Amino acid sequence: MLNVLIIGVGQCGNRILDSINKEAFGGGKFSKYYSRQKFPSRVETIAINTAINDLKEMRYTKAKDRIHIPNLHGLGANRIVGKQCFNENKDMIIRNISERGDFDVAFVISSSSGGTGSSFSPPLIQELKNRYDFPVYSIMVLPFREEGTIYLQNSAFCLKEMRESETDGIILADNQFLKNVGGDIQTAYDGINKMVAERVLFLLEALDSEMMMVTDLGDFKTVMSGGAGFATIGFAKGDNNTAIKTVIHDSLSPSGLLFSSDVYEEGSRAMIILRGDRKYLNIDDISSEIDKLSSHIGHVFKGVIIRNGETPKVLSVLTLETTAELDDLYTLAVEAIHMEKEKRGRMAIRKEADATFSKIDGLEPEY
Amino acid sequence: MKSNRIIIHTLLFLFFVILSIGITSADIIYSERIDKSDGYQINNYVIQVTNTLYGGEVDPTIEIFQLESDGSYTNLKDYVTRTKDMDNTIYLLFSRGSEKISIETLNYTTSYVIMDITTTGITIEYETAVDGGVSNANYIGEPSLTLTKEVDKTNVKIGDIIRVTIKAKNDGNGIAKRISIDPGITPGFTFKSNIYTTYPTELSIGGSFTQMFIYEIQAASNGTFSLNPATATYSSSVFDDDYSSPSNSPTVTVASEAVETSVIDLEVTADKTKLKRGEEITFTIHVQNPKDVPASTIRIDPIIPGNMTYVSGSEDIDIISEKPVIQESVYGARYEKDYTITLQADEIGSNELIVKLTYNNGVDEIREEVSSGMFYVEEGEYDYLAEYPLYIYVAPVLIIVAIAGWLYWRRSQFRM
Ligand SMILES: Nc1nc2c(ncn2[C@@H]2O[C@H](COP(=O)(O)OP(=O)(O)OP(=O)(O)O)[C@@H](O)[C@H]2O)c(=O)[nH]1
Ligand SMILES: [Mg+2]
Repeated sequence: MLNVLIIGVGQCGNRILDSINKEAFGGGKFSKYYSRQKFPSRVETIAINTAINDLKEMRYTKAKDRIHIPNLHGLGANRIVGKQCFNENKDMIIRNISERGDFDVAFVISSSSGGTGSSFSPPLIQELKNRYDFPVYSIMVLPFREEGTIYLQNSAFCLKEMRESETDGIILADNQFLKNVGGDIQTAYDGINKMVAERVLFLLEALDSEMMMVTDLGDFKTVMSGGAGFATIGFAKGDNNTAIKTVIHDSLSPSGLLFSSDVYEEGSRAMIILRGDRKYLNIDDISSEIDKLSSHIGHVFKGVIIRNGETPKVLSVLTLETTAELDDLYTLAVEAIHMEKEKRGRMAIRKEADATFSKIDGLEPEY
Repeated sequence: MKSNRIIIHTLLFLFFVILSIGITSADIIYSERIDKSDGYQINNYVIQVTNTLYGGEVDPTIEIFQLESDGSYTNLKDYVTRTKDMDNTIYLLFSRGSEKISIETLNYTTSYVIMDITTTGITIEYETAVDGGVSNANYIGEPSLTLTKEVDKTNVKIGDIIRVTIKAKNDGNGIAKRISIDPGITPGFTFKSNIYTTYPTELSIGGSFTQMFIYEIQAASNGTFSLNPATATYSSSVFDDDYSSPSNSPTVTVASEAVETSVIDLEVTADKTKLKRGEEITFTIHVQNPKDVPASTIRIDPIIPGNMTYVSGSEDIDIISEKPVIQESVYGARYEKDYTITLQADEIGSNELIVKLTYNNGVDEIREEVSSGMFYVEEGEYDYLAEYPLYIYVAPVLIIVAIAGWLYWRRSQFRM
């Protein structure tokens, strides 16, 4: 049984972590009162935030698993302050983690665009890598493109820093790409969080199953070490008359992925896990579909988890060689940085104006 | 010298024999020992050994006293002659009228005298040794019986049975002996039966009334009658006379028609016929004497059903040994009254309040029972809860507590 550490940093990270815990309870609103978490592995979850309110909003993560970074109530998306703050508090965070025993793998979830999550996660992963041997993966949520220039520039810097850290891979989830899941922003968030949670749980199962023909953590490591360090996860489920081929295909298509990618073009390595009743899992169909994928990209690991009476579900983990989407994001980010600079410039002029006014400071009008 | 003594003895004997001629009877009390300063009573005479020493020698002083009816006594020394022969035998002769007592000592010491006592002309009704002598003796006098005749009802109509009770008591100072009772028959009544006839034939002084005779008679004609007195005849223990005492004469009125009596109508009503367990029910006991004759010695006993508890009641209700009782001496003519009594239901089921009534209607003692009619005690609103055994409550309560505890603990785990 694997020992898994999942850390959610910042509001986005916290909420996805809470969603994972919720799904582990079975997903019901009151499930935590009557049910146990069905993690296949020993899973420790830790939520870290500077904003206590974000921590308090969590519902399915135990209070003892929430770390508030004191004296700060959110970083207002300021990554400079964030990195400083992490440095001041990293000992406390690392101590908390080390008290939870040994781990085989860790995931750090955060948004790339906010303050706390995006500034804490790269140095946090670096800290973990310095101290421990286990692989640490980042699950990074990219912002809605219309969220503004600061979020875009934060994302650009965060992703860069994350790549420079020793992380074993960055799994991307893109709010912009997933925004069609729900109406208002809150429902969209919840929907996206649930998608991420579902995939993470499925992934843990794929890594920690004792069945034959199943992938393990070693396979996952191999897949994640391929490509340019970015990865994403796809997922699809079929009903009793969906061909398994279709389900596999769906998991690799935009409807199943967390991040926009033409997997056949951009993919590097992949891991496909199929779960369901034996009757749905026709080995020939599976093989032909997987062969098709591997003829386009590199190695494809496949695993089968037999679950009697269950309709077929497919999880695909893909590392990417290149990503057009990320290029686009960076283009936007550069624009954003220029815009911010311009604003700064305008601020400077305003400061001069302030200086003009300050000439009469201390004077009283004479009549 | 011995022959001398025989001669004297013989002479004395003859003397007594002569003395006794014409006297019907002589009683002898042989070898009676009387201690110094004690006595021996025969009827109202007391022979007393007053002293045993005289002039330093053993020489007893024997005296005879007469007890008087007022408790005093007189020394009869004027009627007594004393002689003492050479053998130191003392002879005492008391003689008054036909009554004679002669005493001959057989032996005496400093502490007692042994004597023979012969009485002549005295019917010994009573004799006894008296410790302490005459001052301790009791006068034996004449008996006097007080006789009563009682009837159990005084207002009857023709054909009614009257029970007559004769009682007697000795108010005299002598024992009444050989008592016989004549119940006294009264014209207008026929004798029905004897109920009790075995009375004592002797009644000692004082004491309380003794039942002597009980019998029943039947009123045969109308009118007001004084029942003829009963008569007791009896005699004294001392005196030969016969005595007789009449009783009183109770008056009995015999009506040709039924005698007008009082009637008490009793009605018990409840304020409801159904109630729930734990609730109260109030009864009204309505009494009415519609007649022109008063009822007397009324007693009303509401009999509280076992599964009800007395809560409260009218002022006139007394609680006697935890039970409510109404007692009134008289309900006048044309009298009406309400009493209320409130009970609480302890158990479910059907009940009735039974009220017992006794009173005297002027002729008879009347007993009656009246019921309130049935009323029903149903389960209280939450009674069904109490009917389940304890574990039926305990288990769910424990489960609820456990669930609440779990929820609270679980919730606190997920709260920050
Ligand atoms: N998918 C998803 N994205 C979220 C959620 N909450 C916030 N985000 C995204 O995360 C980004 C903002 O980052 P946050 O995580 O809120 O910021 P933070 O890390 O808490 O940093 P500060 O609040 O600035 O200290 C935006 O792009 C949001 O769209 C969520 O619940 N789900
Ligand atoms: Mg925040």
